[in-house]
Amino acid sequence: MRNIENRKYVIALIFLIIPLIFVVRLFYMQVVDDKWKDRAAQISENRITTYPARGIVYDRNGVKIISNEIYYDIHVVPKQAINTDSVALVKLLGISMEDYVDKMNKARKYSRRKPSEIVRQIPPNEFSQIAPELYKYPGFFEVARTLRVYPKQIAAHVLGYMNEANQDDIDRDGYYKSGDYIGRSGIEKMYEKELRGQRGVKYYLQDAIGVSTGKYENGKYDTLAVQGQNITLTIDWELQAYGERLMQNKLGSIVAIEPSTGEILAMVSAPTYDPNLLVGRHLGANYGLLAADTLLPLQNRSINSAYPPGSIFKTIMALIGMQEGVITENASFPCNKALAGCHDHPTAMNVSDGVKMSCNPYFIQLTRRIVQQGKDRSIFKDAAIGLDIWAKYVHSFGIGGDFNVDYPTNVHGNVPDAAYYDKHLNFRWAFSTIQSIAIGQGEVLITPLEMANLAAVMANRGYYIPPHFIKEIENGEIPSVYRTKKRTMVEAKYFEPVIDGMWRVVHEGGGTARRARLDSIAICGKTGTVENFKRISGKVYQLTDHSNFMAFAPRENPQIAISVFIENSGFGGTWSAPLASLMIEKYITGTISDTAKENRILNAVLIPDAEDIIRK
Amino acid sequence: MRGQENKLFAHIDWTLFGVYGLLVLFGISNVYAAVFDPEHPNLFDTSTEHGKQIMWFGIAIFLGIIVLFLESNFIRKYAYSIYGVTMLLLVGVLFTTPINGARSWFGFGGVGIQPSEFAKIGVSLALARFIDKNSMIKERSKSAVIGGLPTLWGLLTFINKNKEIALIIGIPCALVLLQPDAGTFIVFTSFILVLYREGYAGNILLFIVIAVIIAVITLLVADTNFMLLFTKIKLSGKTGIIIVLVVLALIFAFFIRSIVMKRNRKSLYRSLIGSFVVAVLFVNFVEIGYTNILQTHQKERIDLLLGKIDDPDGKGYNINRAKAAIGSGGFLGKGYKSATLANASQRHVPMQSTDFIFCTWSEERGFLGAFILVSLYTFLLLKIVVIAERQRSVFTRVYAYCVASIFFYHFMINVGMAIGLAPVIGIPLPFFSYGGSSMMSFSVLVFILLKLDSERKVVLQ
Repeated sequence: MRNIENRKYVIALIFLIIPLIFVVRLFYMQVVDDKWKDRAAQISENRITTYPARGIVYDRNGVKIISNEIYYDIHVVPKQAINTDSVALVKLLGISMEDYVDKMNKARKYSRRKPSEIVRQIPPNEFSQIAPELYKYPGFFEVARTLRVYPKQIAAHVLGYMNEANQDDIDRDGYYKSGDYIGRSGIEKMYEKELRGQRGVKYYLQDAIGVSTGKYENGKYDTLAVQGQNITLTIDWELQAYGERLMQNKLGSIVAIEPSTGEILAMVSAPTYDPNLLVGRHLGANYGLLAADTLLPLQNRSINSAYPPGSIFKTIMALIGMQEGVITENASFPCNKALAGCHDHPTAMNVSDGVKMSCNPYFIQLTRRIVQQGKDRSIFKDAAIGLDIWAKYVHSFGIGGDFNVDYPTNVHGNVPDAAYYDKHLNFRWAFSTIQSIAIGQGEVLITPLEMANLAAVMANRGYYIPPHFIKEIENGEIPSVYRTKKRTMVEAKYFEPVIDGMWRVVHEGGGTARRARLDSIAICGKTGTVENFKRISGKVYQLTDHSNFMAFAPRENPQIAISVFIENSGFGGTWSAPLASLMIEKYITGTISDTAKENRILNAVLIPDAEDIIRK
Repeated sequence: MRGQENKLFAHIDWTLFGVYGLLVLFGISNVYAAVFDPEHPNLFDTSTEHGKQIMWFGIAIFLGIIVLFLESNFIRKYAYSIYGVTMLLLVGVLFTTPINGARSWFGFGGVGIQPSEFAKIGVSLALARFIDKNSMIKERSKSAVIGGLPTLWGLLTFINKNKEIALIIGIPCALVLLQPDAGTFIVFTSFILVLYREGYAGNILLFIVIAVIIAVITLLVADTNFMLLFTKIKLSGKTGIIIVLVVLALIFAFFIRSIVMKRNRKSLYRSLIGSFVVAVLFVNFVEIGYTNILQTHQKERIDLLLGKIDDPDGKGYNINRAKAAIGSGGFLGKGYKSATLANASQRHVPMQSTDFIFCTWSEERGFLGAFILVSLYTFLLLKIVVIAERQRSVFTRVYAYCVASIFFYHFMINVGMAIGLAPVIGIPLPFFSYGGSSMMSFSVLVFILLKLDSERKVVLQ
């Protein structure tokens, strides 16, 4: 019986142990583990996000080139959607029944008490018909969102486009959530942080069905949405639009810069497209079409394509030669056609002549003096030393990644130096091996933006301010790099003979760009005719030359520096030079004096077809 | 000896009464917070659950005072009659129209009475009466000592030898299962604790612990398969358990052979084989019961508890909301009437004024409040054990253990369910959950105990 008496202790022990387990468990759940607090917040609190309007983008004259328009998404909370007349609803929303059923199933799968999107981006005019009917469908409601609109339909490549943030964006920047839009290219991407503003959040308490039952903690944690910063670009929308018109039915690029500030006035990449195509519901389909186009309309040729510069590069050779002291402005070289092909012209008696006549042998001989300065007895070593000096000079003109434009890109020109040739040539080399760099062919590559910057360097007689798009940020600062001069390694005094040559290119008989001549404005320019090749099924074909022209105007106190590059269209003087002159005249005077010239350019169709490629 | 007017409250254990009163007070304040409706802020508004709960408490006190007017002998004398009446009510309730799929309620003009709540009183009294009368007879002490390892036929002989006890508990068990009301059925199994204390069914507790362990393991592996080590033979989880049992049996057999003296071996072998057979049968029983007999939702509740499925917004909705409410309470709680999950306006936690009432308390009072509440219940249970053990009357002692066991089960299952340690079984938390029948029956249980205890010194007079 004693044994049985002791059982009271067993029972008492049970009565103690179970509550003890409970207390430990409660302590863990309530004090140690935060999981249930998060879960409770998730269940009982409703975060309503208020989206700020994205910053407006203006052109240099204060004209809106990107603004916002309100669109409406229709969302559903499946738990509240009861007795839905789906046939009528589908008709009202203008979607297919299958689509509706599919979206509803997905919504239910995601959450029965949280809203999911059913229809996206209904424009305001369509929504005005839907709104008065929507109350008949409990659980369905609209969410207003702003989308980008590009009122001037210009500068698609510069402005870029937006699409939904993907998982990478969300992982990289905690700001983004699924369904958010993010600038994907161009200015929209570059100034995403400024433009996007700050989302606001309001916390509500919600009941089991998801109906709000009041503000959480009296709105203590609520934040207001902060509107995105408006920005002003350096683009002149009228000049930009004009450039895009001139470039219709052509492949290539125009870049115009204000030399004194480095502000990019216009940047055309042809073919272009209406930026409004890459907005909203049809973005995906339109993007697919543009991406499939063999003419690469999505490519920003002005920044993301690098071409051989051709003869415009000769201006730099003359400047380096004078600065290095290997020539004077009165240097003369014979037109030795054994060195390189050339057209018939009088012998160039000085630098100005050389530039004007664009004599290939002249510049090859000139550049040989720069590269082969006789600093080493071996011509190979001498060439390596000289080429590195040469490359440094060329870099100082802003070629090959020496400045960064405020545009998401990693494409730069290529300035070959000794290391480059050592790597790419499997034999010993000296200047004669690589002499085509003197006339801007061969391994030298330059982007149209760098060409325009080169024109700006000429206009400024020896310096540039890194080209940029940003003119003003509302309540913000422009990076100081876009206010700071970068000097070339060539002194200002050596520029005059070259500029004189460039003036004569346009204004004198025998100049290569007389089509660019304007009566009212003194244009200084340099043509380029760029040989180019294409490898088709293993065989290399030479294609029709690229037509290239860089210029600035007026000669004194220049207001504009420009590069025009038209792919596979022939001589630089034929197409690019007159096109540049139209841009210059349009920018400086606002009118066009020679409509015949304008019409000739507008009507020219210079897109090569497959046969053009093989012909030459 | 004493003045007549003094007799009613003479020798009342005020501590027990105080704990009871405190729990009821907390309970009502908590129901008030749980169902608070700004349009009916009046605590005594009988259109609200807190108003009704106060009314039920008033009725319970009234019943309690009646109990206190009774003589202990009267209670003892009519124990079987009370049992009989409650059993008749349990039979009667089977002829009502089902509410929510169960015939558990007598409706009296909007007021529901749950006879199964009162059956607990009847069973407690009948059990006390029976054991009191038979306390010195039968071989129960023997069965307790020689039981050895628990065996199925041990349980069968127990039932055979104690047919009356088996009937007293078995009848209401069967009747509530017919309703059906699994929760109350489980509460009736609480009397095992009483039987254990009174020396019946020797190692029944050990038996239960082993059974629970085997059952949980069986349920965990019920639908799984595994590859036998080093082979490609695919075996079911059940086979795996049986293999483990065989190995365990062999190990025990080895120990018996090497340690135990020869003359004692035979009976141990017999127990070992018996236990092994029972264990294998039990595994099969649990497995078949789980896969074939349990209804889908019951299966799901077990799977949720064991963590075999995780479906916080579907099958696990209730328990997930309950745990979120409790867990979000933090150390100090969100403050009175400030629950954001477990209250009637938010409605995240289902049945927050009845089965899940513990959530409101824990969310608003935090760990501190939950700790106080758990401590209070523990104190109540231990206090009742102390009261039971100081009785000279077997009747009162058994009755007291019945009360303790019932409260313990309600507490263990209700709180355990809310914090995810017990399957979801809808039974009230004594004095806390809203409900007239439970408020009255739990109060009467306490008052009968108070009355019996108050006369402990005159029992033998």
